[in-house]
Amino acid sequence: MRIGLEIHVQLPTRSKMFCSCPATGAEGPNEHICPGCMGMPGTRPSLNRAAVETGIKIARLLNCTVPDVAWFSRKVYYYPDICRHYQITQYETPIGSKGVYYLGDKPIRITRAHLEEDPGSMRISGNNALIDYNRSGMPLVEIVTEPDISSPAEAREFLKALLRDIRHVTDLPDDGERSIRADCNISVGTERCEVKNVTGLKNVERALTYEAVRQTKVIRSGGKIVRETRHYDEERKVTTSARKKEFESDYAYIGEPHLGMINVKKIADSVVTKESPHDMILRFRNELGVDEKIAAQIVGTSVEMAKLFENLVKIVGTESSLKWVTGPISANWKALEKNVSEKTGPLTDVIAMHAKGKINDVECSIRIKELITGEDRKTTERAADDLDVIIRKAIEDNPSVVGDYKKSDKAANRIIGAVMKSTGGVFSSSDIVEATKRILNDMIK
Amino acid sequence: MTSYHDADKKYNMFSGTAAAADKKRTFSISDDIVARNFQATAGSRMLEGYFPVFDSAVVSRMTAENSLIGTTNMDEFGFGMFSVSGTKIPKNPFDPERSCGGSCGGAACAASVLEDHVALGTSAGGSISSPAAFCGVFGLTPTFGRVSRYGQIDTVSSMGPVGIFASKSELLKKYLPVISGKDERDPTSTAQPELKIGKKKLRSVAVPKGVTDGVSDGVRKAFDDSVNMLKSMSVNVEYVDMPILRHAMPAHYILCATEATTNLAGYCGMRCGQRDGDLSLPFNDYFASFRSKYFGAETKLRIIIGTYATMGENRRTMYLRSLGVRKLAINSYNGIFKDHDAVLTPSMPYAAPKIADAVIMSSVDSYMASRFAAPPAFCGLPSVSVPCGYSDGLPVGMQFTACHWNEDVLLDAADLWERSFIVKAPEVSL
Repeated sequence: MRIGLEIHVQLPTRSKMFCSCPATGAEGPNEHICPGCMGMPGTRPSLNRAAVETGIKIARLLNCTVPDVAWFSRKVYYYPDICRHYQITQYETPIGSKGVYYLGDKPIRITRAHLEEDPGSMRISGNNALIDYNRSGMPLVEIVTEPDISSPAEAREFLKALLRDIRHVTDLPDDGERSIRADCNISVGTERCEVKNVTGLKNVERALTYEAVRQTKVIRSGGKIVRETRHYDEERKVTTSARKKEFESDYAYIGEPHLGMINVKKIADSVVTKESPHDMILRFRNELGVDEKIAAQIVGTSVEMAKLFENLVKIVGTESSLKWVTGPISANWKALEKNVSEKTGPLTDVIAMHAKGKINDVECSIRIKELITGEDRKTTERAADDLDVIIRKAIEDNPSVVGDYKKSDKAANRIIGAVMKSTGGVFSSSDIVEATKRILNDMIK
Repeated sequence: MTSYHDADKKYNMFSGTAAAADKKRTFSISDDIVARNFQATAGSRMLEGYFPVFDSAVVSRMTAENSLIGTTNMDEFGFGMFSVSGTKIPKNPFDPERSCGGSCGGAACAASVLEDHVALGTSAGGSISSPAAFCGVFGLTPTFGRVSRYGQIDTVSSMGPVGIFASKSELLKKYLPVISGKDERDPTSTAQPELKIGKKKLRSVAVPKGVTDGVSDGVRKAFDDSVNMLKSMSVNVEYVDMPILRHAMPAHYILCATEATTNLAGYCGMRCGQRDGDLSLPFNDYFASFRSKYFGAETKLRIIIGTYATMGENRRTMYLRSLGVRKLAINSYNGIFKDHDAVLTPSMPYAAPKIADAVIMSSVDSYMASRFAAPPAFCGLPSVSVPCGYSDGLPVGMQFTACHWNEDVLLDAADLWERSFIVKAPEVSL
């Protein structure tokens, strides 16, 4: 099975791509519009530099070649969501080309990443089509992969990791509003189908799974897959044939004369790129000897937490840092995140004391928790009385667990989760896991 | 001063007029330049009803000291050399049965008839030189990128700056700095070097060999006389080979058509202009109904050519190759500008034809009429058309083309010429 994705991600600029309309915060439809993004005769586009800068950051994240000079093109198509009936996009000189993104150790080749404007959004209501041009002219990057993805689940995993990395390098807020849209190309045999405009990671996986099954059935029954565009119906969770697939040559691309040539090199030289989360994970693995899955967990929770971890390693070493970061710090991250900069120092001091043997594990846990939440010490102490007592109490509250545990040791997770929640990071997760399993094993003997 | 309303009645140059002028100095804009309170249709029925909500850059710059009195008639979307394909046909001040030239015929007509009037027009391929020659006025086409095109209804986007028509060369010199300058709303205007005036003198011109082959006798005589007159004014004249000009014409028309195809794609009864369609139709049929009904024949032809030239393999053999020809043509001009200040040609191959004849002229014959005026525009070069003779009472023009950003030498050429050549005004009786 071969899967290739075309992913659209909105860029976090303050204004639209070719006019000065605000890019966020519209309360009603058609609020953030001007003659420019409505394509009124006489207007012309003026390029938002921030869109190019963000594009460069993403191209670098994808290990793409960034051109020295680039221009935009017009892609012609007739549809009511686009006023000018041509979309300003990049054709010959994408902001990034021939890259590769590593999903773990697996390379996913990137064909290209180009900048383009979003059209308006359209909603069909009975016999009417309502169009909202707030989205018209929003900056997008479209990332096209080679068909290197081998399963719907991997596609989802890829999108999740990619989105996390893009958010990080572009400071894209996780606001839900800018969800990912993807066109999914999938072939089980030789000819492919494209499922257009699927929104969200979950739907991408579902649409691809449905499509894989459908294509397999067609081929098994001696049928032939026709190259076509399909539509994913979120309600019914099926794909349906939308129209015959257009070929790129049908869009009659020509250069966009209004914008001229863009000196990308000059802009690129001034763009500082942050280390991507993915690179950070690899660095933790290669330089600090952290297990890749655990490194991914730390970075996945927050890049800020990963930085805290790095600082700790310098002082107390990898093993001790892992113990406290994956334990109480990770469990209380939400509370710590808000003022991490002022608390990093005191936290480091506490953990350093522990490393020197001046305080024991329980004491260290309590102090960390105290530092983060500012909660009264006694409450924490009481909770920390005895881990075994707390676990036994949790099992009493969920008596069915014991029976379930006999069938599958996964049932222990319910107790582990509950205990972690109620103790709020006083105990390290490995201690809780170990104690819970020990107690449950005793009970079913 | 002639009342512009009376002049309009007689010559039909305006597509819309202001009720009155509140300043002494007046200017007009061709119908494809937008201004608040003036309908802007670019000569097309398709855009009837489009009242822009903003002023173009040139209008903002001009209105401080001049009154905008109207918008002038032109060929539909600038497609034409005779101003006969638009919504109204302007009449030549030297003979009302004849064409004003195109596409900015109304602008040249206004500059010819109204005293000290400045008419702004646009040119993507001789639309300033052609009517300037036919109406016996000066017509300056600046370098592409010299004047902000913000507020210009695009047909062609990589060519066609706003230029100036006037009956006196001093008006060109006075108003070019007013309309020029960087404007961030038009990125193509932001790369220009500073406009300098009064620094360069016209010393040497190059005339392409065989340039008068196939032109009318009247144009040949006026042009040859003018060349001799320039020599007598100690301007060096040399005949040069410019074979690329032959290829520039088809390449120019292909680029114009491809850009026009995209620029006109948005006109379909959706957001501006005509909107009286049958809303129950599927959207493709709805769009097609407008485009069939309101686009003129020449516009449809250009859209078809432009679409054809970018489809499939044609994109490479026609569109991309035309871009290559443009580079060669620019190189060819630049080679000549190493030794000469300007290239001199007639502006048009004949004097103004009868409107009745222009209406039935084939598209190819019409394209060929722009063979001198189109190549400079194709290359983004500045040019000026000046009156240089009269053939049976009709004006004949010649065109100086200079290298990029070098409007200065053209203004000097126009000035120099005007001091020796007597420009006749039409006999206007209202």
